[in-house]
Amino acid sequence: MASHTLTPVHHHPQSLTQPFKSKTFKPQNLNCKNAIISSKLRVAVIGGGPAGSSAAEALAAGGIETFLFERSPEAAKPCGGAIPLCMLEEFAIPSHLIDRKVTQMKIISPSNLTVDFGKTLKPHEFISMVRREVLDSFLRDRAENRGANLIKALVTNIQLPVTEKSPYKIHYISNNTQNTLSVDVIVGADGANSKVAKSIKAGDYTCAIAFQERIKLPDHKMKYYENLAEMYVGNDVSPDFYAWVFPKCDHVAVGTGTISSKQNIKQFQGAIRNRVKPKIEGGKIMKSEAHPIPEHPRPIRVLGRVALVGDAAGYVTKCSGEGIYFAAKSGRMCGEAIVRASENGEKTIGEGDLKREYLKKWDNEYFCTFKFLDMLQRIFYRSNAGREALVELCGDEYVQRMTFESYLYKKLAHGNGWEDVKMAVSSIGSLIRCNVVGREIDEFRKRMELQF
Amino acid sequence: MSMAIFSPKLPTLAPPSSHFSNGKTHLNFKPYLSLGPAKKLNFQLFVSADNGSGVAATVADETPPPPPPDVISDESVGSNGSPPQAAPEEVAAEAVNTFQDARWVGGTWDLKQFSKNGSTDWDALIDAEVKRRKWMEDNPQSSSNENPVAFDTSIIPWWAWMKRFHLPEAELLNGRAAMIGFFMAYFVDSLTGVGLVDQTNNFFCKTLLFVAVAGVLLIRKNEDVEKIKKLLEETTFYDKQWQATWKDETPNKN
Repeated sequence: MASHTLTPVHHHPQSLTQPFKSKTFKPQNLNCKNAIISSKLRVAVIGGGPAGSSAAEALAAGGIETFLFERSPEAAKPCGGAIPLCMLEEFAIPSHLIDRKVTQMKIISPSNLTVDFGKTLKPHEFISMVRREVLDSFLRDRAENRGANLIKALVTNIQLPVTEKSPYKIHYISNNTQNTLSVDVIVGADGANSKVAKSIKAGDYTCAIAFQERIKLPDHKMKYYENLAEMYVGNDVSPDFYAWVFPKCDHVAVGTGTISSKQNIKQFQGAIRNRVKPKIEGGKIMKSEAHPIPEHPRPIRVLGRVALVGDAAGYVTKCSGEGIYFAAKSGRMCGEAIVRASENGEKTIGEGDLKREYLKKWDNEYFCTFKFLDMLQRIFYRSNAGREALVELCGDEYVQRMTFESYLYKKLAHGNGWEDVKMAVSSIGSLIRCNVVGREIDEFRKRMELQF
Repeated sequence: MSMAIFSPKLPTLAPPSSHFSNGKTHLNFKPYLSLGPAKKLNFQLFVSADNGSGVAATVADETPPPPPPDVISDESVGSNGSPPQAAPEEVAAEAVNTFQDARWVGGTWDLKQFSKNGSTDWDALIDAEVKRRKWMEDNPQSSSNENPVAFDTSIIPWWAWMKRFHLPEAELLNGRAAMIGFFMAYFVDSLTGVGLVDQTNNFFCKTLLFVAVAGVLLIRKNEDVEKIKKLLEETTFYDKQWQATWKDETPNKN
């Protein structure tokens, strides 16, 4: 595989760099470039996760010469691994990849009020739980089958082009040898610590941190989590997010996340373990893992002929912390945008094309969803009072239905007007009630403190 | 005795209260003779005459405290949560390390035990729940399937919440709204010559009224202005983060 990709690698840099060394004749430059480009547009996708693989697949399917870089195909990043129903269809994911079909979802409030969130799920509806290593390698294989060149290599440096039309040069280490590849367009899909983003100075985003332990449970305890996931909310487990218990193939993942007090993450992990204690007692921790989750999009998502997708761009929703679907979707959208703009690789493209075909479309389609979830997080994760209200609301069947419609099918669901009004009224009612209690708890606490 | 409590309030009106404690009475009391009613002066004299100048000092010392005790007692009456009672309960509960209250039965509050005069005492129920939630916050409990919690606040009727939520502030807000309404009507009348009755038929005036009511409701204290500003900033912050990538484009094109 490596030898196959090496041939163009050695060929291109020479032929491209030589004309640029003599930069006196600009028009000549362009002619040279066009002559070389006339073969096909060359695109490098950095990062072989769901975002990168989907982008590579779309690109290769559109007849573009595609190189997919992945550092270590065997490893996958720790991740909840929940994917919505519509992704199975849209990305043709076979059912044997799915470890668990979650049909029950419990949300537990700080005062331990427990609500079954999955009451209104229809028989054919479920939340799929996958292992990332399995899903990622499946998507990567598919991209390769479509014609993308998979390069198992660590990208060390990306050299930006000197002129508007000259190529990007990617330096990478493969099999302990340094290589270089010249490409016209780069799709950055290399996650939160994106090298691509750094090299184009795309700016930073704040990150939340997620911590997760894989715990192997005794059989009788595992049975409880067979098709059930749990979400815990409360100041004890996370000041601004939720903690979870997700079922995996033969174990459960217990974890929590936070933005505002990352240094306390161990303490929150201890707290969630305490909250689920009777249900996971006797389990053995197989592995603990932590990873950053972007909180908002990067200041720059497209620059020159570089586009960022997935976590690298910052497409993770607030509130639910969902990222796999949006990663895969943004990758595909970006790939298709490049195919369209370049007319199947026949034309060169520029920043304007990427912005128009990919970024604009993406923002039009998903900004509202992201914004809405940001608002929900602000309202309901702000304090324990808000969390109590959230759990109360989740008991309502209409709320559940609308949430699942939106989550599973990734469209803001259209309910009927009257029910919507009722939902709004009951939300406000719950919030007021729980805030009254919350306020009095604070007053009560103050009085107690005065006493001692 | 109650008169003695009332009387100290009078000295607070006089600028330097320390003068009273000094016992140099004659010069200080003279203005009272001319300004204040004779009766009140008599009490003052009576008190100081009874206990001597030393006690006059304690009376003066007592003058500031009365308002705080009033506030405290009002609060504790309002929420019914008497701290001395709560403290032993907490200690007892901590020892067992699950929440325990005789009225908490099977994961919810036993409404029968909250009945007072044949109807449920919702106020007491809210107090109990406040205490329980505080306790849970301080001692997070494992959720268990054997003893599920089923209580949520929607059991309590809305009027019980209204009382809690609204009453303490209603007086103030109503008064404020009435004043603003009156003066707005006055100014609109004086500026435009549109009378009060005509104003109610006017769209502009209706909008003004709406703005006034919303303003009174939203801005109850001075800090509320800051709070609202902060909220607005927070909500637009995420938009800005999303739009950041489009910002460079406009100058480039120009």
